[in-house]
Amino acid sequence: MNAPERTQSFLLDEDTGELKIVYTADTKVTNAGTFRFNKEDHTVGNLFRMQLLRDPSVRFAGYLHPHPLVYFIDLKIQTNNSTVAPVEVLSAAIDDLSNETDHLMTQFQEACEEWKRTNDTEVSGNF
Amino acid sequence: MAPHEMRFILSETDTSVANTLRRIMIGEVPTLAIDLVEFHENSSVLNDEYIAHRLGLIPIRYQPVDSMKGQDCNGAFLPHRECVCYERCPRCSVEFELDVAFDEANTFRSEEELMAPLTITSKDLKSNNENVIPAHFLSQDEQDESQDAGVAIVKIGPGQRLKLKAIARMGIAKEHAKWCPVAIATYRFWPNITINEEQIATLTMEQKQEMVDVCPDKILEIDDVTGSIKAVDDAWDRCTYTEDLQEFQQSIKKRKEDDDFVTVEAAEDKFIFTVESTGVMDADEIVISALRVLKDRLNYLAQEVENIKDM
Repeated sequence: MNAPERTQSFLLDEDTGELKIVYTADTKVTNAGTFRFNKEDHTVGNLFRMQLLRDPSVRFAGYLHPHPLVYFIDLKIQTNNSTVAPVEVLSAAIDDLSNETDHLMTQFQEACEEWKRTNDTEVSGNF
Repeated sequence: MAPHEMRFILSETDTSVANTLRRIMIGEVPTLAIDLVEFHENSSVLNDEYIAHRLGLIPIRYQPVDSMKGQDCNGAFLPHRECVCYERCPRCSVEFELDVAFDEANTFRSEEELMAPLTITSKDLKSNNENVIPAHFLSQDEQDESQDAGVAIVKIGPGQRLKLKAIARMGIAKEHAKWCPVAIATYRFWPNITINEEQIATLTMEQKQEMVDVCPDKILEIDDVTGSIKAVDDAWDRCTYTEDLQEFQQSIKKRKEDDDFVTVEAAEDKFIFTVESTGVMDADEIVISALRVLKDRLNYLAQEVENIKDM
């Protein structure tokens, strides 16, 4: 039986002391580097990439998910100039996304309330 | 929107956000499902593993007694790996007992049914937590129409008996699909329908009518007041981006380079979501739960990024 453990796809490997994020600065280009997010996939990868590309101080942002059975993504970021570090733009991107999620949550709840008011029927959820 | 199914429109955002939301709903919203089964007696035709697998796939609903909603079980339960208990406890698991013997059950059945096989369903699972029950029917009507009392597990005949203890735990669908809360979670792009009034004015009434009729989705209609063409009110729902309209327009254009009369394009920032629940919780709860999972994940990653900054 050589099937990998199912939990490997979302739980950090404690035996090897796996870290959630590992940062490697680029050796040839300044203000560029690669973040390895362990136990992440397209869900977060594409989200970060698109958010980073909206940032005017980001020159390059791309992510790589090598294989469906390889449970990490590599996110490469290069900024416009050496005054801004890749870590900072990433942290800003995550903050923005976090605010957007909050906004989505309130908007969604309001929309649900609104729907309940206009369709004044208490539909019972009795499965 | 109904308890088990809902549609909503997500706008002013990017495909990446829509797709993240969809992926989380499918793969990362925690739910309850039977994960461990202890067999005490199984003389049915199916073997233990087969029955254990079938039990795992039964949707287990967390619905507090005073609530009519199937709720997010996060908070009420802990993932068993994070729980501090030695093996399992009421905080991280729910136990179900099942004990059905054909001969015992037969005393309650009518004369003509006596020799017919007995179907064991999810109704026979007795939970030790009154808030947690297998998901059954949407309404009384649905239940009346159904042949069975619940989700069928196995049929037994004379002399056979099934006795087991099943333990439900919280998990996510990344580990096993039985923890997936959604039957359907998809999004479509909102169709932007633009009508070129100037071009339309050059058409005869017959041509307009023909254009309306040629679209298989029937997204257009003739405006009785102005005599022009307009999109029907629920065009966004009907539209499937067929090419028939486009082809027809090419055939009636005077010159090839003329502008299109009607263009239908997919919006890049507006999405129509469809979410249908398996019954483990209400559809709106799934969306809220997915957003919460995303929020927690982002906070966690933000913290990790801060740690890197300090290094």
